[in-house]
Amino acid sequence: MFRNNYDNDSVTFSPQGRIFQVEYAAEAVKQGSVVVGIASKTHAVLVAIKRNAEELSSYQKKLFPIDEHVGIAIAGLTSDARVLSNFMKQQCLGHRLTYGRNMPVRTLVDMIGSKAQINTQHYGKRPYGVGLLVAGVDETGPHLFEFQPSGMTEEMVAFAIGARSQMARTYLEKNLESFAACGREELIRHGLRALKESLVQDRELTVDNTSVGVTGTATAKDGSTSVEPFQVFDQQDVAAWIESVADDKEAGAGEGEAAAAAEGEGMEVDP
Amino acid sequence: MDHRPQAWGRPRDDVYGAYDASYLHTNGPKTATQSPIVTGTSVIALKFKDGVVMAADNLASYGSLARFTDVKRLRPFLSTSVVGFGGDVSDMQFLDRHLTELAIDEAYEHDNTSSSSETPATAGQLNAANLHKYLSKLMYRRRNSFDPLWNQILVAGFDSSSTPFLASVDLRGTTFTSPSLASGFGAMLAQPIMRRHAATEEDAAKLTRDEAVAIVRECMKVLFYRDARSLDKYSIAVVTRDGVELSEEEQLEKQSWAFAERIRGYGTQTV
Amino acid sequence: MTSIGTGYDLANSIFSPDGRNFQVEYAVKAVENGGTSIGIRCKDGVVLAVEKVVTSKLLKAGANKRIATIDRHLGIVYSGMIPDGRHFIDRARDEARAWRDTFKTPIPTADLASRMGGYMQAYTLYQSVRPFGITAIIGGFDSTSEAPVDGEVGAGPSCGAGGKVPGKTYGGPFLYMVEPSGLYWGYYGAATGKGRQAAKAELEKLDLGGPAGPSLTLEQAVKEAARIIYVSHDDSKDKEFELEMTWISGADGPTKGLHREVPKELREEAERLAKKALEDDEDDEDEEEEKMEE
Repeated sequence: MFRNNYDNDSVTFSPQGRIFQVEYAAEAVKQGSVVVGIASKTHAVLVAIKRNAEELSSYQKKLFPIDEHVGIAIAGLTSDARVLSNFMKQQCLGHRLTYGRNMPVRTLVDMIGSKAQINTQHYGKRPYGVGLLVAGVDETGPHLFEFQPSGMTEEMVAFAIGARSQMARTYLEKNLESFAACGREELIRHGLRALKESLVQDRELTVDNTSVGVTGTATAKDGSTSVEPFQVFDQQDVAAWIESVADDKEAGAGEGEAAAAAEGEGMEVDP
Repeated sequence: MDHRPQAWGRPRDDVYGAYDASYLHTNGPKTATQSPIVTGTSVIALKFKDGVVMAADNLASYGSLARFTDVKRLRPFLSTSVVGFGGDVSDMQFLDRHLTELAIDEAYEHDNTSSSSETPATAGQLNAANLHKYLSKLMYRRRNSFDPLWNQILVAGFDSSSTPFLASVDLRGTTFTSPSLASGFGAMLAQPIMRRHAATEEDAAKLTRDEAVAIVRECMKVLFYRDARSLDKYSIAVVTRDGVELSEEEQLEKQSWAFAERIRGYGTQTV
Repeated sequence: MTSIGTGYDLANSIFSPDGRNFQVEYAVKAVENGGTSIGIRCKDGVVLAVEKVVTSKLLKAGANKRIATIDRHLGIVYSGMIPDGRHFIDRARDEARAWRDTFKTPIPTADLASRMGGYMQAYTLYQSVRPFGITAIIGGFDSTSEAPVDGEVGAGPSCGAGGKVPGKTYGGPFLYMVEPSGLYWGYYGAATGKGRQAAKAELEKLDLGGPAGPSLTLEQAVKEAARIIYVSHDDSKDKEFELEMTWISGADGPTKGLHREVPKELREEAERLAKKALEDDEDDEDEEEEKMEE
């Protein structure tokens, strides 16, 4: 039934010091549709491909607001994501109540990291089968974090998780240097272009399957800064953005593939 | 005869009448702190153009006895805020330790020697407004469990938009803010003097640091003359955007008690 | 690993017939795959350093810290499974806080090491948990002066804490390393993770022990730590890495008794010297080879 004797639970090390159950949970993340996140000096954006179970069904949401200043993108088991999402919402609310401020994003992310780690060390528990990209702004500016089922959390400049996300990551790596200086719209377009890299043949970004989430710092005329609340855009609200990256579809995709092939890596396709 | 062990050594009911059991259990609700024991008197504070000045004397009284004459009642927090305590000294010490823990927690996330930070060293740290909100929740929770921390607290520093901040919270969790604040006797004796110079936020924003310090020193003098639980040794703290300057060994200079000669009860009684 | 397949290695806390707990040994394997961590206890402080292998170009440079502050005067670095390390850090902070609550004074480094050793060991006792996949290095500087009790009134007692011998010094820099088994020792120089062998060899060359105490100063130790991380890095196997360093001095030293990140300028200077030392070594080797050929 099992591949080996060491992958039955999350409390058994393999002789190489690996925990297979945690590694398998990471596979669940790759089953989810792709999500991309990028942070600049002023904004953090999340973009996602939504899936529908069948032609006539609705699309599963991928982006969720957590608090005024934080949002998440999910890939993997949606119900596990809901547990983490509810937890994050409560922590943000509690922090706002006691300190009267937005919870620092790293503090929030560390909390779900600690929560997830417990599930990898105790018998009878299982790791969360979901990966998250957490985008938010706090007093130190915009941030993007990746969360893995192992409890690993890392701050990224840009990242992509989910099915075929390697293509999106290759795009992001290629354009890495330009993100910091990007404005809001430019950052979203980069996100959508990265997303397109991960699409299967003859699939396209549509108003039905694309979600965009944005948060950032807004600077008023008098120089004071405020938080642009995290907001999710769907349907007709994303039409203009999709349109704006429609032209460079051929060029962008061709370029990405060529570069990846030239480097001889980055073509790994998720199962 | 009653041979139960409970009755051993007790006066016999048939001889002495039933024992008045009401002495065994004091009726009435369970109580915690009903009054402060060792106390500090007024804390006063005044905003000015670039920050806040705060002062409190170094006396801890046991009733009317001047018990401890070197108690420091102003406490810097993260070198960006100052907290001043009036009321019970042991509760002040409890809060002092509690704030130390809070400051250590803050240091986990924010190392101000951090090599990567482009933002100011204090960005993301708890500011005075956050701290005041936290203390007000703490005080209100304690009063709702009928176990109050018997203090009136002033918090001085800056808020998230970097403007001078001054607010108070008392043992009931009541919060209050004003360009000048004073607790205890200071509310009657010092507040009118401070209001004469800075009745509104606009007035306070015109005060220079030297003016504000002079006003506060004048108030400390009046308080020493008029408040029988005060001392002529006091601490004064100035919070600016550069940090906290705290002096704990101030002495009231140029005292004149000549006026007191005319007061009945002053000095050795001859009649 | 002769006993693989005999079944004694399938659950934690199970002894094999020859008295081994295989799951703990496997946890050590997880540590041995992690980036190298080292700690140096020198004359006037402690230095902690870690090699952070850059697993992705997309990681934000310098943003993901691996050395944690536990209390003002304490730092911990670890190698192995990073989420396990975060858990360990959380626990250490809880211990430090509980100590302050009880004793109204900061926890001494030795006591924290003892508590954390006990905590690690507890995770080897039950089948319902697995051991920690980390080895942690704990560095601290216990105050050498008469530390005031938190929240004391005024100047406090003039006589100081009881039980102290006049003229004798107390406190100072301390370094401990805790392994997945819960075993811990005090060290002059400690190393764990992938490059521990090379790092240990370098540490042994430093003047850290001896009856007269170490002669190495804090600033020298920072430079040595950087060099050792560079030496132990295997650049044929791994990609780039980031060096993270923290230090703790006494109250009169550069960090004023606090656990702090090494300032950027000093770290960069140390890295420059480390790279130079590596190049010089390579040149020497080349020369030697040439000589051999001759």
